Amino acid sequence: MHLKIRNLSKSFGQFRALSGVDLDVGPQEFVCLLGPSGCGKTTLLRIVAGLEPFDEGTLELGGRDLTRVGAQHRGFGIVFQSYSLFPHMTVAQNIGYGLRIRKAPGAAVAAKVAQLMEIVHLEAFADRYPWQLSGGQQQRVAIARALAVDPALLLLDEPLSALDARVRVELRTEIREVQRRLGIPTIMVTHDQEEALTMADKVVCMNAGTIEQIGSPQDVYARPRTRFVADFVGTSNLLEAAAAQALGPDVAGPLPVQKGTDHLLALRPEDITLTRAEDGEAAVVRVTYLGNSKRVALDWRGIRILADGHRGLDLEPGDRASLSVAPGAGVWVLP
Amino acid sequence: MTEAIATLKARKPRMSAEGRLLHMTALVVPLVGLAIFFLYPLAIIVQRSFVQRDGALGLGNYRDVFGMGHIGRVVQNSLVMSGLTTLICVVLGFAIAYALQRTRLPYRRLISVALLLPLLAPSLVQALGLIFLFGRNGLISQATGWNLQIYGLWGLVISNTMYALPQAVMIIQAALRHSDSRQYDAAMVLGASPWRQFVDITLPKARFGLLSAGFVCFTVTITDFGNAAVIGGNYRVLATEIYAQVVGQMNFNMGAVVGIFLLIPTLLAFYLEKVAARRETGGGSESAVPVTPTRSAARDLPLGLVAFAAALFIVAVVGTVVYASFVSLWPYRLDLTLRNYNITAQGGYAPLWTSLVVSAQAAVIGTALLFALVVAQRRLTGGAAKAVYLLAIVPVGVPGLVLGLSYVLSFNVAHPLLGMVYGTTFLIALCNFYHYHSQGFLTMVTGIRTVPPALEETVTCMGGSSLHGMRDAILPVMLPTLVAVFFFLFMRSMVTLSAVIFLITPRLSVGAVSVLRLDQAGFTTQAAAFSVCIMGVVLAAMGLMKLALHLLSRRPEAASSARKLEVTD
Repeated sequence: MHLKIRNLSKSFGQFRALSGVDLDVGPQEFVCLLGPSGCGKTTLLRIVAGLEPFDEGTLELGGRDLTRVGAQHRGFGIVFQSYSLFPHMTVAQNIGYGLRIRKAPGAAVAAKVAQLMEIVHLEAFADRYPWQLSGGQQQRVAIARALAVDPALLLLDEPLSALDARVRVELRTEIREVQRRLGIPTIMVTHDQEEALTMADKVVCMNAGTIEQIGSPQDVYARPRTRFVADFVGTSNLLEAAAAQALGPDVAGPLPVQKGTDHLLALRPEDITLTRAEDGEAAVVRVTYLGNSKRVALDWRGIRILADGHRGLDLEPGDRASLSVAPGAGVWVLP
Repeated sequence: MTEAIATLKARKPRMSAEGRLLHMTALVVPLVGLAIFFLYPLAIIVQRSFVQRDGALGLGNYRDVFGMGHIGRVVQNSLVMSGLTTLICVVLGFAIAYALQRTRLPYRRLISVALLLPLLAPSLVQALGLIFLFGRNGLISQATGWNLQIYGLWGLVISNTMYALPQAVMIIQAALRHSDSRQYDAAMVLGASPWRQFVDITLPKARFGLLSAGFVCFTVTITDFGNAAVIGGNYRVLATEIYAQVVGQMNFNMGAVVGIFLLIPTLLAFYLEKVAARRETGGGSESAVPVTPTRSAARDLPLGLVAFAAALFIVAVVGTVVYASFVSLWPYRLDLTLRNYNITAQGGYAPLWTSLVVSAQAAVIGTALLFALVVAQRRLTGGAAKAVYLLAIVPVGVPGLVLGLSYVLSFNVAHPLLGMVYGTTFLIALCNFYHYHSQGFLTMVTGIRTVPPALEETVTCMGGSSLHGMRDAILPVMLPTLVAVFFFLFMRSMVTLSAVIFLITPRLSVGAVSVLRLDQAGFTTQAAAFSVCIMGVVLAAMGLMKLALHLLSRRPEAASSARKLEVTD
C-alpha cells in the first residue's frame, strides 16, 4: 500500500517541529529519514505511527485517511532504538505478542513465531529472556516481533544506534534483506548518513522541520540540491561563485540563473586532485591519515579546502600544492 | 482563541473509549480519595479553629490559646526539643552514613541492622527502653545509685533522636551513594587533599540530603506523640498539649488551633525543602561510577567509634524492652517469665489483630490508589501534572496528630454518609494511608520512571489496548515497587501512633495505642511485651518483603526500581 503525506505540520508550543512536509512511500519501498538531531525526523515517524497528533495536513495509507485512527488500530510494526522487549517474556513470547493480542489461535502463533525466528536467525534462543541476549540479538527479536503481525508499514526509529559498530553493519544488511524478502514498506529514522546511503531506496534529508531533498542515495550524494544536504551527506567544499570560477571554467555546469545569484559550488574532497608543486596556489595546513586515504586541509586563496589523496601522497604541512578538478565534478547548490 | 482553533483542527488520533475510561478512572478515583480524606478534613480543622465557643466565627480560640499562660512555653519547648534533636540527628546521621557508605569499616552491616530496630516498633518504645534503663526504677539507676533526670527534655531528645536517626541516616546515605568517583579522581589528579575533596565535593553533594534529613527529623519529632507522652514528664510540648485539649478537656476547637500551630512549622519546612530541591540542579549522571571506599585509620577510627556507639545504644535500649518483657518484676525480680504476655487489660490482644486488619487494608487500598495515580499522572502534561504531583506530596507536611484530629472533626459527626465510617478499621486504614501518602507516591514515581515509554508505545502500535499496556508494559516493571510500597504502608500502619490516637473508640483500638495505655496504667512490662509482639509482626512483614523482592530480582530487568523508602512518621 502507498503512504501519502501532504503538507503536514506540527508544533510543540512555540517550536515548529515540522512544516509543510510532503512524502510518499511506495508499496515495497525502504525510505530513510536522515537528518541531525532535532530536525523533526523522529516526530514525523511518531506521527505516522499515530503516537503523536499533528496540526495540519493529511496522512493517508492506500487512500484511507489515518488522521483519526489511533496507533492501536493502524496495524503498523515499530522498532525503537532501546529494543523495548518485554522483560518478563521469552524470545518466542515476545515475537508472538502481537498475534496473541489479536487472539490468533495458538497453532498459528507458534507457526508464525517459528518462521520469524528462522528469518532473524534466533531459532536457538526461543526460550531465552531478553536479558540473556546481546544487544544485536535483542534488536533482532524486536524486528521479528514487529514483523509478526504482517504490518502494513514497518517503522524503525534509529534501530541500530545503540549497537556496536560491527553488529550495526551486519544488521544493516540483514534488515534490508528481510524487508526485500517480505516486501513491507518501511520508514527508518537515522542520523547516520552511511546507514541511509547503504540501506535506502529513497533518502529523505531533513533539516529544521522541513524536507531539504528527497532522492535515491546516488542522487543525494552526487547531486545535492542544497548546501545543507551537500554538507550533511558526506563532506563538501562549498565555494562562492567567484571562487568557483577560479578553479576552472568547466568545474560544474552553468550557474543556474535564479533570482538570487548566491548559489554555492559543492565539491567533494575526492574530486580534487592534489599535485605537489613549489609554485602551487594552495598551502598544506594539515594532513589527516584515514587508513585507506589521506585528507588534506589546504589554504587556497584564503579559503579552507579539503581534498583527499591516496595514502602514499607525499605532502606535509607547509608544502605547496596545485589543485585540479575534473570537469563537471562540482554541483551548484542553494545556500 | 487561536489556541482553541488550533485544538479543533488538531489531527489527533482517537483514543479508544475503553482507554479513555481507564485513564479517567485511574485519575479521578485517587483524586476523589484525596479530596474527601485529605483536603476536606484539613479544611474542617482550619474552619473549626475559627469557630468560637459562642458558635460565631472569629479569632476567639486563638485569643484563648494565647491567653493560656503556658502556651508560649509549650511552643518554645517544642521548638527547642525538635531543634536539638534535629541538630544531633543530622550531625550524627552524617557521621554514620559516611561510615556506612564511604569507609570499609568491618561489620558495617551490623550498624545498618541496629538502625532498623527503631523502625520496627511504635516510637514510644525508645522512651520505654530509656525508662527501663535510666528511670527511677531503671536498671542502671538502681545499679549505680545515680538519680538521672530522664523524664523531661533530655529523655525526650534522646528517645526522639533514636527514633529519627535511622531515617536521617537513610536519606543522607542515599545522597552519598549517588556520587561519581570520577569527580574525586579528577580532584586528586589536580592535587586536592582528601580534606579538600571532602569539603569541595562530598559536602556540596550531600547538602541537599542533609537538608532533607533535617526536614524529616524536625517534622517527625515536633509532631511525635508517643515519646512525649511516655518520657516527657512535665516538659509539655505541642503534641501532648493538643492531646490534653482534645481528649482531656474535650475542647476540639482549641485542639484545632494547636493543630494549626503544628501545621505551620511543618508546612514551612516542607516548602523550604521543595524550594531547595528545585535549586538543586544537575544530579549525578546516568553513567556515574560509584565511589569505592578507601581505608584511612585517622578517619575511620573515630567514625567507627561514633557509629558503633550509637548502634550499641539503640540495641541496648530496644534490647532492654525485649528483655523487660520477659522479666517478672522489673528491676527487682529479674527471673524470666512469660506472664507479661498474658495481657488482659486494655482489651488484651484484640487491638493487635485490629492493627493487622487496618494495616492490610491500608496497604491494599494505598498501593492500588497510588499505582492508579502515578499511571494517570504520567499521562498528564504541564500544569495539571504539576498540580496532581503537588497535591500528592503535600500530606507529608501534615503531622499525624493534626490529620488524626481533623478526621475526628470531619467524620465523628451525625452526617449519614460522613459519619458512617467513623469507628471502623476502614477509616483508620485510610488515615494511615493518607498520612504516608507522599512517601508512597514518590516511590511509585521513581518506579514508573523505570518503565520505558517505548515499551508502552510498542504495545499500542501492536494493537494492544490501554489495559494491555498496563498489564504487559507497566506492571511487570513496576512489580518490585508495588511490593515495596505495599509493605511500607503495612509496616508504618502497624506502628504509627500519632494519627490513630484520636480515631480509636472504646470498642476499636490498635496495637500502638495499647502499648501507650498499658504503660500509662502502670503495666510497663506488659507494655514491653505488647511492643515485642508488634515488632514481631513488623519483622515478619519485612522478611516477607525481602523475600518477595529477592524472588523478583531474579529477573534482573525488574530489579532496578525497588528503592528504599524514606520512612517518616
